[in-house]
Amino acid sequence: MKLEMLFSGIGGQGIMRLGEILCDAAIKSGYLVTFSPFYGQEKRGGRTMCNIVISEEVESPIISEAQVMLIMDERSLADYSYQLSPEGTLILNSSMIESTPDVKCKRIDRVPFYGMAQELGNTKTANMVALGYVMKYLPEIDKDVVIECVKAGFAGKPKLIPLNVKAFEAGYNYEA
Amino acid sequence: MGEKVFMQGNEAMAEAAIRAGCKLFFGYPITPSSEVPEYYSKAMRERPEENIMFIQGETETSVFNMIAGAVSMGHRAMTATAGPGFSLGQEAMSFMSAADLPAVIVEVMRPGPADGEILPSQGDYFQATRGGGHGDYNNLVLAPYSIQELVEITQESFELAEKYHNPVVILSDAMLAKLHESVELPGYVTNEPAPEDKYNALGGFDPAKRDKHVVATCGRGAVHWHAFNERLQAKFKKIAENEVRYETYNLEDADIVLVAFGCYSRVCISAMKMAREAGIKVGMIRPISLWPFPEKAFEGLDGKQFLVCELNAGQMVQDVKLSVKNKDDVHFYGMLGGIVPTPKEIFEQIKKIEVK
Repeated sequence: MKLEMLFSGIGGQGIMRLGEILCDAAIKSGYLVTFSPFYGQEKRGGRTMCNIVISEEVESPIISEAQVMLIMDERSLADYSYQLSPEGTLILNSSMIESTPDVKCKRIDRVPFYGMAQELGNTKTANMVALGYVMKYLPEIDKDVVIECVKAGFAGKPKLIPLNVKAFEAGYNYEA
Repeated sequence: MGEKVFMQGNEAMAEAAIRAGCKLFFGYPITPSSEVPEYYSKAMRERPEENIMFIQGETETSVFNMIAGAVSMGHRAMTATAGPGFSLGQEAMSFMSAADLPAVIVEVMRPGPADGEILPSQGDYFQATRGGGHGDYNNLVLAPYSIQELVEITQESFELAEKYHNPVVILSDAMLAKLHESVELPGYVTNEPAPEDKYNALGGFDPAKRDKHVVATCGRGAVHWHAFNERLQAKFKKIAENEVRYETYNLEDADIVLVAFGCYSRVCISAMKMAREAGIKVGMIRPISLWPFPEKAFEGLDGKQFLVCELNAGQMVQDVKLSVKNKDDVHFYGMLGGIVPTPKEIFEQIKKIEVK
């Protein structure tokens, strides 16, 4: 398997945490994984983006085209949609993105990550809802392995584990 | 080899250094190397049983001189910095090479000149491989391409520095430093000689163990200084003979040979695969030791076209031109400012090369 992904959003949305947990799960499933974060010099409110490559051999950590692209806000969509593979899937956070992008790809999924997180009682879990949804496109990685990694990711704040696991499940079970 | 973990380049490197017995870290924070001093300062607090010491100097100038002091007493010591800090350390680098001091320096490159940017770059190739400071000297310069290779080279660097009595520079960059990747962390090094058994100022005073060794680097006239330099040159010759490292890929049938180093070479590996799938016979040479440069990797490749890809305005390409028979066969694709081309963009460059 070789899968190239790009996730982007606004600083504070938890895009990096999402990426790290996914990578952790892919490693535990036996793959080579690279996670390349790109931050602006600004922190919260700035743009964050990461490239993730899951492979079986050493590959470029910089992707040419994303087979799976997760976009959380309008500005990121404008900046990165050109990197979407014509065979790829674009996953949009429809809670914050109203426009319909003019891109060539296999499919566009619109999922209200923030709306769903709000229903669960905490908008900060939108990233875990998104992680759950993204995992639909990674059948090679077992769902239970990811849940273990979500738990490990919040080991420092155990009170938050049940809510985040619930958010993950909500995303995983959502049909766009 | 130990457990497989998912770690950032800077942090994995710091852990590997601690496990190599490098208990002394002197640093001054600078992006993209700051996670290394952070890691050491945290380890100093949280792992008291390991006697780790982190000192933040007031500037890199003092940091490099602290290292000179520590290694001259037989202790393993290092710093990690970026180009602007490496520049400030050059006086000490020149001194340490002349004084036979085994420092390990990690240079996490970012685009210069001056303060520049905090993004990936390979613009300090010349500064690292040509000595960087004044006088005739060389650093042993190693450029890993993955976090796995980074941790292995880090551990080995302390042994190499002590073997040749010379500074070793690990040339990292903002891409490798910030990357997170699966890595098998090496275990603790257990065969480090005791400080008094090493070639250094401390041990040098024990006449039973070796001849008197004085750390002194100023000449007493031309004849003395000529001889001193000849001794240094013999040291560099030994390094050049023994420490050439590189990796080659698909050279046998290649019409076009990519040449790239460091983490950026992985972008070229993916580009090479794209080209092969498109039916273009592309191979690759990846220098790991940048000084000594692996000239011998280019032997027997006459007639092939070379595409040197670097994140600078053309530095290693000069070494490639010195290593091939026909300079006209060497092409260059550079990128500046912190932009990293994708594999597809390099593939487009490959397609432009006319195979002769």
